[in-house]
Amino acid sequence: MCPRNLTDVERQSLESRGCTAQDWRQVFVCDPFRPEQFARAGFSGRVTLGSLEGTVPGPGGMPLACGVYDSNLHECAVGNGVRIAGARRVANYDIGDRVVIEDVGTLAVEGETAFGNGAEVDALNEGGGRTLTMFDRMSAPFAYMLSIYRHDAKLIAGMQEMIRKHVESRKSARGRIGEDSRIERCGSLVNIACGPNATISGALELREGTIASSAADPSMVGAGVIARNFIILSGSRVEDGVILAHAFIGQGVRMGKQYSAENSVFFANCEGYHGEACSIYAGPYTVTHHKSTLLIAGMFSFYNAGSGTNQSNHMYKLGPLHQGMVLRGAKTGSFSYMLWSSVVGPFSVVIGKNMANFDTENLPFSYIDGDGHKTVVTPAMNLFTVGTKRDSAKWPARDRRKADKLDPINFDLFSPYIMERVLKGMAELRDLYEKTPKEREYVFYNGAHIARLDLRTAVKYYEIALKIFLGECLVQAIDECGGAAQAAKKLAGLRSGKLGHWVDLSGLVAPAGKVVAMQADIASGKLGSIEAVQKRLEEIHAAYAEDKMVWFADVLASQGVELNNESMVKIVTEWRDARIKFNNMIAQDAKKEFDPATKIGFGIDGDQAVKDADFEAVRGTFEGNKFIKELAKDSEQVAIRAIKLLESITSPVPTN
Amino acid sequence: MNESEIVSRVKKAAGFVLKIDPEQISDDANFVFDLGADSKQSVQLVGALEEEFGVSLDEDKALAVQDIDSCVKFVAQYL
Repeated sequence: MCPRNLTDVERQSLESRGCTAQDWRQVFVCDPFRPEQFARAGFSGRVTLGSLEGTVPGPGGMPLACGVYDSNLHECAVGNGVRIAGARRVANYDIGDRVVIEDVGTLAVEGETAFGNGAEVDALNEGGGRTLTMFDRMSAPFAYMLSIYRHDAKLIAGMQEMIRKHVESRKSARGRIGEDSRIERCGSLVNIACGPNATISGALELREGTIASSAADPSMVGAGVIARNFIILSGSRVEDGVILAHAFIGQGVRMGKQYSAENSVFFANCEGYHGEACSIYAGPYTVTHHKSTLLIAGMFSFYNAGSGTNQSNHMYKLGPLHQGMVLRGAKTGSFSYMLWSSVVGPFSVVIGKNMANFDTENLPFSYIDGDGHKTVVTPAMNLFTVGTKRDSAKWPARDRRKADKLDPINFDLFSPYIMERVLKGMAELRDLYEKTPKEREYVFYNGAHIARLDLRTAVKYYEIALKIFLGECLVQAIDECGGAAQAAKKLAGLRSGKLGHWVDLSGLVAPAGKVVAMQADIASGKLGSIEAVQKRLEEIHAAYAEDKMVWFADVLASQGVELNNESMVKIVTEWRDARIKFNNMIAQDAKKEFDPATKIGFGIDGDQAVKDADFEAVRGTFEGNKFIKELAKDSEQVAIRAIKLLESITSPVPTN
Repeated sequence: MNESEIVSRVKKAAGFVLKIDPEQISDDANFVFDLGADSKQSVQLVGALEEEFGVSLDEDKALAVQDIDSCVKFVAQYL
């Protein structure tokens, strides 16, 4: 029978081994039970002990006996195969099978708690107003809607109600340590929920938090971590002196080297080291690795912060209300500065000290350069850089999440979301070019300056990107439909209806019409749970390729293009030429890495021949570079593909 | 348009973008190493040349041009 009371002999044996109990009748054990598996253990309240046979692996493979040693348990239910040693105070916990708790000061639940669920996070707007109530199933697009769409009171109320119910479901006066977890060498852990297979090793203080974890995607909280009011999701590692306060750590996140984050949320695959986050919304793949980097009151995604990056929202009159929007794929250079409020367009690079409030949402792929007291934008300049190409390839390869992926992420460099901004940017730049006298060196643009001579060139660059994307859409349609004629027929039947413009919900790229419909369903109560919203978000994400085709059909219609052999040949030909040109321009950018200037410092003790030889030994040659070879191969494959596509358009195989 | 006129107008465009007296620009001057052009100015130079000569230059080939001499030859192809 399990559990059962101790026999008198067993109790006496335990007492002879230094064990005590407030009331031995409240101590229950399972068979096989051996008193030798206990020493100097104290029990109070009701304590249930599983079968503690066997050993668990210790350092270097050393077998450590299961059992309870030098520890005090209060109101606990302990699973099978558990080792608890040197745990001074363990109270109000259900401890899963094969858990190890060793050298821990306090592991306790004090009163009713939701383990970090329901804690408020003033992300993005430091002064509040966009407060996120965090919970352990919060996805990036859910948080985006909750943060950004404050104009829709019914939506926000609906979302808050879902969260309230979820938080209620998490409330308990007992905590749980999931099976196969290890909690070792920790200070004080109070009101902490811990999923299966988690490791908490060397944490100083954890209070009011959840560490979600699973066998497929275990989480780790490491040495010196202090965290209060937090949630850490599966597959994440938070270690090496990290300090968290009111912080949400999504899936597959890496945080260490004394990073500190307050009132901030971080979604899938973010990385934070050394620096500081204050009231930030870090969408997927927000990365900051360097000291003296402060990210404050901003929204980011697919972002890379250079060392010393800084922003300021402190030129305020009525509190720190300003916010920055750094749209997907942007980077900031070393010691760059931005004055909030500003919007950085997608895939742009920010350098220098920017003292102006600027908005380049419709100028993706720009260089944004603080030049004295003005911000100078070079539109489309970042389209053809090696970094942009490499970044877009590395993100999907660096998705660390292994299971139950909460954040639906679109990795495409070019998408309808980006191309809508390209189209708007082209129209704005053309208009500026036509209206600006040739004597003018700069034009003003949304708080920034653009060199007049860049206007026309930028339009040409954007046209290259557009031709590539339109061509890719047609190629996709031909592939999916099994032929050009079939693709033309299908696309002719597609019209957007209520899809509208495109938005990026922190990684989820979608037509606004679908998002608005979802929001209406939330507001009306038709979507009444977090699980239901998550399912809808995943459905929207899964429909991306199909919706992209609708967008493509719309663009063709808006340009008066009817798909026939002639127009398809034109689109494919332009796609081929633009793609090869694109690759060539990226190669030109890469070639700078082999300029004489980059050889400075090489072969320091020799003559020019030594410098060249040293450089080649370390950096290789332009022609032999793997990235350059891949670009050349891509151009070859595009050319071959284009020949086949053009043949299939002009000489289609008859179908029945 | 003869070559000397092209050279003169290429230097004028380069001088305007790089804030250098065209008279000080030699025929074989490298845009980056001799004239100090950065990548953004290289893009502006393409725009300046297009306006100066009223042509539309090929984007990737234009960025491959490194010096005044090769720029003159490149622009001449469009005239």
